[in-house]
Amino acid sequence: MSRPDDAWTGDVAPKLAVRDLAVWFGSRRVVELERLDLGTAEILGLAGESGSGKSMTALAILGLAGTVGARVDGSVRLDGEELMGLPEDHVRRVRGRRLAMIFQSPVSALDPLTRVGDLFVRTLRLHGAPREEARDRAVEALRAVLLPPELLRRYPHQLSGGQAQRVAIAMALALRSEVPLADEPTSALDVTVQAEILELLRRVREERRMAILFISHDLAVIAELCDRVAVMREGRVVEEGPTRSVLDGPRDPYTRALVAAVPRLGEGARA
Amino acid sequence: MEPGTHAAAAVPSEALAGRPGLARTLRGNPLLAAGVGLSVLIVLLALLAPLLAPYPEDAGSATHPLRTLQPPSLRHPFGTDQVGRDILSRVLYGARVSPVIAALVLAISCAVGVPLGVIAGYFGGIVDEVITRVTDVFLAFPALLLALAFAAMLRPSVTNTVIAIAVTWWPWYTRIVRGQAASVTGRPFVEAARALGIPHRRILLRHVLPNAITPVIVQVSLDVGGVILTASALSFLGLGAQDPTPDWGLMVSQGQAFFTTQWWLVTFPGAAILLTAVAFNLLGDQLRDLLDPRRVLTR
Repeated sequence: MSRPDDAWTGDVAPKLAVRDLAVWFGSRRVVELERLDLGTAEILGLAGESGSGKSMTALAILGLAGTVGARVDGSVRLDGEELMGLPEDHVRRVRGRRLAMIFQSPVSALDPLTRVGDLFVRTLRLHGAPREEARDRAVEALRAVLLPPELLRRYPHQLSGGQAQRVAIAMALALRSEVPLADEPTSALDVTVQAEILELLRRVREERRMAILFISHDLAVIAELCDRVAVMREGRVVEEGPTRSVLDGPRDPYTRALVAAVPRLGEGARA
Repeated sequence: MEPGTHAAAAVPSEALAGRPGLARTLRGNPLLAAGVGLSVLIVLLALLAPLLAPYPEDAGSATHPLRTLQPPSLRHPFGTDQVGRDILSRVLYGARVSPVIAALVLAISCAVGVPLGVIAGYFGGIVDEVITRVTDVFLAFPALLLALAFAAMLRPSVTNTVIAIAVTWWPWYTRIVRGQAASVTGRPFVEAARALGIPHRRILLRHVLPNAITPVIVQVSLDVGGVILTASALSFLGLGAQDPTPDWGLMVSQGQAFFTTQWWLVTFPGAAILLTAVAFNLLGDQLRDLLDPRRVLTR
């Protein structure tokens, strides 16, 4: 259990502040987060093995843990505004609009019967954009992720995995989301596409000053992308700090084990 | 897309990927063509019955005591029945009764069954529990028996036949849709839709329903035959359409007394029922292949 008080290095007021977040399945507590802060234009890595509560944390922040049968208490503040306990209709408008989610399996996160363009236009209109503006914003967002606007006419099965993930990121851009929560967004993609998506996330952060919560089991990817990292185990953060210092000099034994498990070139292990 | 020597397997997927047009799809798939052709024929016969029937008044309450039970001849190609009515005319007008009953029953069943099924499958929990138990109660009785009970309670008429059958029919649709909707709801794109802030109502209508509806479309086409047979069974037992109505089932029922000596009374309306059932079964089987979402996805 080490969470040094100087772990927070960003702005004074964090963009997203999670306090004492607990997620319960029945009487079993699967997530217990004392404190998790995400600063403006910061990429925070949430690391840990599967089952450590990373994804549940993201769902709980979005207020969607209830749909998988979990109970949540604690506090989630976006720009200082408390999200927990707000009426569903209110949270729904924050979800997508301000907090976006990017999923692990990009193609299956798109409805097979809805054209990409329809999904964009409907979702943008739902969040208040007029029809023509919705189209323009969709096209502009696709350009930003280096996809041709023709893709709007396609069905999801006509996209590659990398294209589908770009579409998901473009959706977050088009909605002008402030905090995308990316749950293993590169794990289902091959290595070259993975590198492109990471580059894209980095650029999005620079240009739009988005704060990104990047969930991954892959420390190598986190090392490449994230400013800070929080390592989760059995629902708790066991170590948190700037990515470099955590990965170079892990203090917690679990983090040390995780770091040791990353294959490196030149040490006999194969990547 | 492989050129596909086996036409029936290759064409449906091609139809959705490249849209070669209806004519080519039908040419490549004789079973579908037969189903479509027969179904269109039945609808045409129903529409054009007044023009085609040689004795339109015989579809009603006309009686001709002087020419009862005549065998098929040029004047009466299907013969005449026990009160001298032209059977061909009655069979033609019958296309306006049985298929309409089927259409109404299936429309009502879908209107009731599909929304309940989608809601049960999507929300799960107590909502699902209540809806599923109610359908279980209906499904616990043999369908025909339940339809008989309802028909016996109501006055025998075409309208009440429709009501009686629909009451027993909708739970099947709830069943089918519930399972589909539950499985669709578990797929990542529904969670993604929620994460985009899309409200439940819209997720249900736009994302869950369209992905769950294909088996229903297929089931409807397969059920057309079943409903007609059930309606015929009710008529046959005197609980469905009543005499002057040229219902095929009723005609078979009334003709059975003469079957051993005047075979045409039963044979022609029976053949009409058979043909309709076969037509929609063919259509349904082929639709299942055409609409199967896996074909859309795998191409």
